[in-house]
Amino acid sequence: MDLVLQSIVNGLIQGGFYSLFAIGLVLIFGVMRVVNFAHGELVMVGAFTIWVVHAQFGIGYIPAIAVAIVLVTVIGLLMERVLFRPTRADPLAGLICSIGVLFILQVIATLVGGDGPSKQVPPPYHGTLVLFEMIRIPYQRVFSLVVSAAALGGLWFFLTRSKFGWALRAVAMDREVAALQGINTNKISIVAISVGAALAGLAGGLVAPLGNINPHMGHNVIVTAFIVTIVGGVGSLSGAILAAILYAMFHTFVTVYFGATIATIAGLTLMVVVLIVKPTGIMGVKVSE
Amino acid sequence: MSLLEVSSLTKRFGGLLALDDVSLTVEENEIRGLIGPNGAGKSTLFKNIAGFHKPTKGAIAFQGQSIVGQKPHTIAEMGIVRTFQETTLFQELTVFDNALVGTHMTAKTDVFSAILGLDKAVQRRARKKVMEVLDFMGLADRKDQLASELPLGSQRALALSVALVSGPKLMLMDEPFAGMNAEETNHMMDLTRKVRETGVTIVLVEHDMKAVMGLCSYLTVLNFGQVLAEGTPDEVRNNENVIEAYLSGAK
Amino acid sequence: MSDQGRFNLRHAALGAALLVIVVSVPHFLKFHHQDLLIFLTINVLVVCSYRLVTLTGEWSLIHAVMLGVGAYAATLSHNHLGLEIWFTLPLAGLTGALVAALLCFPLLRMTQFYFLIGSFAAGEAIRLIWVEWVSVFGGTSGLRGVEAPVVWGIDFLDPIPYYYFCLAVVTLCLLILYRIENSRIGLTLHAIHWKAALAESVGVDAWKYRALAFIIGSFFAAIAGGLKIHYLGSVTPNQFTIGFMVFILIWVIVGGYNKFYGPIIGVVVLTIFDESIREFEIVRPAIYGGMLILSILFLPLGLESIPSKFRSWFGAGSTPSEPPLTDR
Ligand SMILES: Nc1ncnc2c1ncn2[C@@H]1O[C@H](COP(=O)(O)OP(=O)(O)O)[C@@H](O)[C@H]1O
Ligand SMILES: [Mg+2]
Repeated sequence: MDLVLQSIVNGLIQGGFYSLFAIGLVLIFGVMRVVNFAHGELVMVGAFTIWVVHAQFGIGYIPAIAVAIVLVTVIGLLMERVLFRPTRADPLAGLICSIGVLFILQVIATLVGGDGPSKQVPPPYHGTLVLFEMIRIPYQRVFSLVVSAAALGGLWFFLTRSKFGWALRAVAMDREVAALQGINTNKISIVAISVGAALAGLAGGLVAPLGNINPHMGHNVIVTAFIVTIVGGVGSLSGAILAAILYAMFHTFVTVYFGATIATIAGLTLMVVVLIVKPTGIMGVKVSE
Repeated sequence: MSLLEVSSLTKRFGGLLALDDVSLTVEENEIRGLIGPNGAGKSTLFKNIAGFHKPTKGAIAFQGQSIVGQKPHTIAEMGIVRTFQETTLFQELTVFDNALVGTHMTAKTDVFSAILGLDKAVQRRARKKVMEVLDFMGLADRKDQLASELPLGSQRALALSVALVSGPKLMLMDEPFAGMNAEETNHMMDLTRKVRETGVTIVLVEHDMKAVMGLCSYLTVLNFGQVLAEGTPDEVRNNENVIEAYLSGAK
Repeated sequence: MSDQGRFNLRHAALGAALLVIVVSVPHFLKFHHQDLLIFLTINVLVVCSYRLVTLTGEWSLIHAVMLGVGAYAATLSHNHLGLEIWFTLPLAGLTGALVAALLCFPLLRMTQFYFLIGSFAAGEAIRLIWVEWVSVFGGTSGLRGVEAPVVWGIDFLDPIPYYYFCLAVVTLCLLILYRIENSRIGLTLHAIHWKAALAESVGVDAWKYRALAFIIGSFFAAIAGGLKIHYLGSVTPNQFTIGFMVFILIWVIVGGYNKFYGPIIGVVVLTIFDESIREFEIVRPAIYGGMLILSILFLPLGLESIPSKFRSWFGAGSTPSEPPLTDR
């Protein structure tokens, strides 16, 4: 029973992370029709920034997160302007370019951090929250849960209440119709990549004190993001969040009882099944061809 | 037995009834006209017959055999070939290769024959057939050009060649005259007649009334997914419902 | 297709020169470079088999894993059944084809983006099975023990004999792939790529042909995997990650995938290039990444298109003209 409750809580926290980067992938794909293979590397850059700015230079954790967000957003904007915009006619070209970026970012991280073992960032928040005398959550994880929930809430507010958010959803749903309504696709692409990259940077910042930081950590991120995106429905933001939380629970439980590799295999299989049975995902809309 | 019998065909797209209880029969070797305002459901009818859409309800029999629910390629094998509303070609292939794809059903090969060259005789026959059809369609001297380099009239003739070379019994032609000038239209009408003379039955969707009246001996009028009228061109021209539908729908 | 079988003196001379080069080249190389030459030869088969899969317009991300399927099949059949390379290679190919045939049912229900992601997922799942199922596949440390035989006193573990063996196998495979592409099957695959609906309307079973391309491509990928592993002597799941898949993509795209020989040019040029930047070990991936981006942005048709570009710049030959939509 303890284990079950504990796993639910852990899954929820994990789900918060997954949402942060999966949403970015969904936004970028929805608006630009580009599968950003370098999305995991954006998270990695975020985490590395924390390591450099916070752990090496001793600047506070929160300011370091801000630096990570800004840096990753700038990288995202560069990618949009230099790569995705010129190749918009050919979605495959955008994907290939993002693979190029993936390599470059990994190499930069290796150069910055040296070729040695994975880096660790000591958690800035100590202690453990104990709930009902059986669920234990380190304060560091409480912090990341609160921040990701706040970020998702903010995003929801932005998407539903602001003019940009409305336009963004319109473009993600149907580019042609949105263009007919006079929405400037370039502007919206910039907003989408900024939001997506910023969330990836934030995710990197949150994950940094909780695990190993190395130039190849993006791989697991992108695999997870793909699974979450497909299961949730390629065009659907709420689907992505729901799928992120469900998948995180699923993964946590399978990991507890069968091990992490089996959990990922099961996740990938689940994703293929969803692709076959309901290619639009659990909450998805049809992607116009 | 008629060549094609469509009975009570219904096709629903969400809330929209694109075809509403449509029945019609097409006899061997006729050129049947299918007319009606835009959005009447003509193309949808073709797609359902050719297997690109699955009907919501109703029956389609070809030579007495039900074809509902079959895949497009199976229906093509049975002898029904459609042409597309917009010019649809393999733009990046040559004229010759476009038509050569059309010979697929008679010149199919398996991997081993392809590797070992055991299908040479079959392929030679297919090429010969392609040259015959291109000659027939007046495209022979353009055979090495890319399809995308052809003028519109020739592209339409090529689309017809691709269908024709596959040896269909029934050809569903969707607006083959759209966007053509008078000269091209005349040429295309000649070609259509010539195709009929080779024994092919044709159902023709067309807005160009000169072409329809000149080619078809019998017309079916579709409106809002329903059969509004049927008859000879003269009967249809004087049918009050038809006049009303066309006048109220006039641009 | 219509220009099949055209043959002239220039082609003959070119072919003869090529033959002399590929046969004599290992004798001019150092040991390390002989190794490299073997892998290059195998990678030529990898890219050409991948190109067959892409002919229908679908880009798969499972090709690297298909090499792995062949590699494990070869290793297992060598270790447990005692088969030599003459038998393990065909067996590897058949295993690859079989796995591909089974995967067709889920994967080929998807197209484009979904197929890309679906093939990635399926490949990753297979790879993780190798990681997880230690008793059969040896987990992350993989399997060892497979090697090339000694026949009539020739030790095929020596680079030069093994190179000739690879050269023979790969040449045979390329010949078959070339024949397929230039047969009616190739034409049909192209047709499906450009307009699947039109192809179907004249009786093409598009699903069957996509499956065929996927299965044949995987067959040859698995053979390449077997070839590789008999030389390396051991197989691990890490040899077939998305990282390797990306290299395949880079070779094919930088070389140009519109012509049969484009990917071959890509893999040869990039392997030589790769060797020449060896001392920058750490930044090598970034150089690759940069090149990939530059070639997409500035040379979308690949290296293969450079000669015709040159010709058009200097006015020799005809410039490829914009196709007019209509004459009027
Ligand atoms: N795939 C589809 N999904 C939804 N509605 C469709 C689809 N295809 C056609 N329709 C609708 O069905 C009706 C009939 O269309 P169509 O058969 O193309 O008409 P026609 O060819 O007579 O001009 C139109 O209202 C059209 O919008
Ligand atoms: Mg129509």
